[in-house]
Amino acid sequence: MASKILSVDDSRTIRMIVTRAFKSYDATICEAGNGEEGLTVAAREMPDVIILDVTMPVMDGVTMLTKLKENPLLKSIPVIMLTAESGRENVLHIAKLGVRDYLVKPFKEEQLIEKVSRVIQLVKKAT
Amino acid sequence: MSESPDYDKLARQYGLAPIPESVQRLTQIVSRQDADLEQIARVIAKDPALTKRLLRVADVEVEEGESPADTVQSALMRRGMGCALLLAMGTPLSMALVKTFQTMLGIKLEAVSPTSVDPLDSEHLLGTIGFGGKAVGRLYLRLSLASGKLVASRILGVDPKDITDTNEVTDAVGELLNIITGNFKSNLCDAGLDCRIETPQVARSLQFYTDPIPGGGLEHMAFQAPPITLFVDVTVNPWNDE
Repeated sequence: MASKILSVDDSRTIRMIVTRAFKSYDATICEAGNGEEGLTVAAREMPDVIILDVTMPVMDGVTMLTKLKENPLLKSIPVIMLTAESGRENVLHIAKLGVRDYLVKPFKEEQLIEKVSRVIQLVKKAT
Repeated sequence: MSESPDYDKLARQYGLAPIPESVQRLTQIVSRQDADLEQIARVIAKDPALTKRLLRVADVEVEEGESPADTVQSALMRRGMGCALLLAMGTPLSMALVKTFQTMLGIKLEAVSPTSVDPLDSEHLLGTIGFGGKAVGRLYLRLSLASGKLVASRILGVDPKDITDTNEVTDAVGELLNIITGNFKSNLCDAGLDCRIETPQVARSLQFYTDPIPGGGLEHMAFQAPPITLFVDVTVNPWNDE
């Protein structure tokens, strides 16, 4: 069965990069453009992992993460933060909320695949 | 400056890169309102790249027989401490810009003198982002429409001719600006210069020049990886009392 990955980022460019990164894997990519949409898609799709940006309009990634962890049905979904903000205060605050990993933009696709593969089992598509 | 043990552990676990100590030190010194001019001059004079940028921004030439530290000090006296703050902010900004292009696009940008490259003379892309907090300012990124298309094609991994939607170009350039300023903000905050960053705006423009914000300094920078040329201006008013 294909892995399900949810990419929550207000940048279409980043969502396209995430989709491209997992193109050769047996994975389905779901997308959301902000935290509010992210919570809706997470509840509907029950992804195996969420790749989450911090700074977004409508609802930011920290708020989404907080609400996710308060929801008994969603709190066990592992979250990898993908953000340009690597400041000490931000990292400490987000770590306390319970993220599985943290990837700082700019990033290489291989780094993203490596971080995700630590959380879920990625299977290459048959050629 | 050593980080708290928890942060050290997380930084290792997440693979976060620390800010260079020299940059952090300069930012820490100039972010204080009681910063000492001689102390700043000593830090800058030890770094040839910072010295070169300061002398260019201050438009000061080295006099024969004068020591670099004296020249740096006279440049700071002539242009004020805001000039040092511009340098402190420009360094992490340049680093973030070069790293972002190298990592996300595989493009190795080199800093060049803004006067040594052909200026923009037609409609181009202008990305702007404002910041507030201890220092108030604005950052401007300019590049030609052709460069913008090339940048978008590299980040999206498609052929430039396949990019027909201008929104793809503005979104890609906006995201790069977002990454650059996010890194820039993290470096400044870690060095004690807390600031907030606005959402980046990217649009076509015919505005070729940047006016400094009231009471602020302005630094022009340029970066090149032919055929791409980027023009970056930073204007900042230090020690905002908000």
